[in-house]
Amino acid sequence: MLGRVARGDQDAFEAVCRYIAAPVFGTVRAVVRDVPQSEEVAQEVLVEVWQHASRFDASRGSALAWVTTIAHRRAVDRVRSEQRSAERERRAAAFRVAYNDVVETAEANLDAERVRRCLRSLTILQREAVTLAYYGGYTYRQVAGLLGVAAGTVSTRMRDGLIRLRDCLGVQP
Amino acid sequence: MRTHRPEPHTLAGAYALDALTGADRARFERHLARCPQCAQEIRGLREATARLAAAAAEQPPAGLTERALAAAARTRQLPPLTRGSRLSWRRAAARRHGWAAPARGRTPGRAWMPRLALALAGAAIILAGILGLTARDAQHQLQQDQQHARIIAAVLTARDATMFSGRVSTGGTATIVMSAHEHALVFAAAGLRPLPPSRCYELWLMRPGGDQPAGMLPEPQHGMTGPVLASGLKPGDHLGLTIEPTGGTPHPTTTAILLLPL
Repeated sequence: MLGRVARGDQDAFEAVCRYIAAPVFGTVRAVVRDVPQSEEVAQEVLVEVWQHASRFDASRGSALAWVTTIAHRRAVDRVRSEQRSAERERRAAAFRVAYNDVVETAEANLDAERVRRCLRSLTILQREAVTLAYYGGYTYRQVAGLLGVAAGTVSTRMRDGLIRLRDCLGVQP
Repeated sequence: MRTHRPEPHTLAGAYALDALTGADRARFERHLARCPQCAQEIRGLREATARLAAAAAEQPPAGLTERALAAAARTRQLPPLTRGSRLSWRRAAARRHGWAAPARGRTPGRAWMPRLALALAGAAIILAGILGLTARDAQHQLQQDQQHARIIAAVLTARDATMFSGRVSTGGTATIVMSAHEHALVFAAAGLRPLPPSRCYELWLMRPGGDQPAGMLPEPQHGMTGPVLASGLKPGDHLGLTIEPTGGTPHPTTTAILLLPL
């Protein structure tokens, strides 16, 4: 389908949009939070998918991974404004208690159910490191600050956690 | 702190989560260019993050797709990468968009917003199960809690949100984020002294015309209490915390152990 999009097929692009709009918007909103801004970023993501469709290479991963990588990247770019990051960290540290289980309350869908189950199989530190980075949009050094552990420990937990998540979900490129 | 340098390979997870910036990112990308196994690993980890994205799927506001289609119709597509290019799509995209040095913060982030008390909603289901509530009660409770969580989110992300903290005289620290615009505050505390079952902590909005009860604090989790939402704030209010009989009282019966002007 992305192949047809790459050749300028607008109907194919519309079909792709119907399929990816919800994961793209949900991911962006998890990070950006503000709805009008999230909408703006999500639209930029969809246009980028159109523009870059010819660069998608199925041998290097799924279309969903390609699209959500673009979406997440744009979302974190939007929020990583240096001037407010200290304030963000302070607030997040104060309210971290309820921060770490983002998908627990995601809209009911099969993906969310499986992800939820697999996230529970991680250690607490792995899970917090992964979800703070992905849904919170924090850098691993900021996550280390939030969790009060060494940056090296956080980077290891992120990798171990994602590997465990990948294996639990049974996804492969 | 900045001097810390983990082994490049251990940064694969952080990279896949877009959690590397600046020098960390550049360093890992240099490593990646020489490490085919790492590239393969990143691909696998990206499939895992894609499922995190799918799990957060949310119907976008009406019109998003239409606007994207209209914008696409005005946007020239890029040609495919030619053979012999050694860049992966990820790196190509990064280069194309200057991802390695992203444009920073056009709009300051109210962005960080924790999904905070959304966990409350999940807890409500469990609680309902424990209490043997009917499905309809549980659903109602869930809606209430989600509503609650939305207000908390609104306070925490409000442009006029201010944060301050205070010591609780019997032990512990309270943190408050307040938004005058939302007429509400979010309260959390760390290290509060545990109470016997017959007692609870109760929050108050204290004002000359009579103190308003603003909710009981829940049991702490991992040493943290809250977040608790107190709404209906008026100018000149003080936030008070007292220890009361379990179940709470309509008026404070003990001296405040925390009293903050708002």
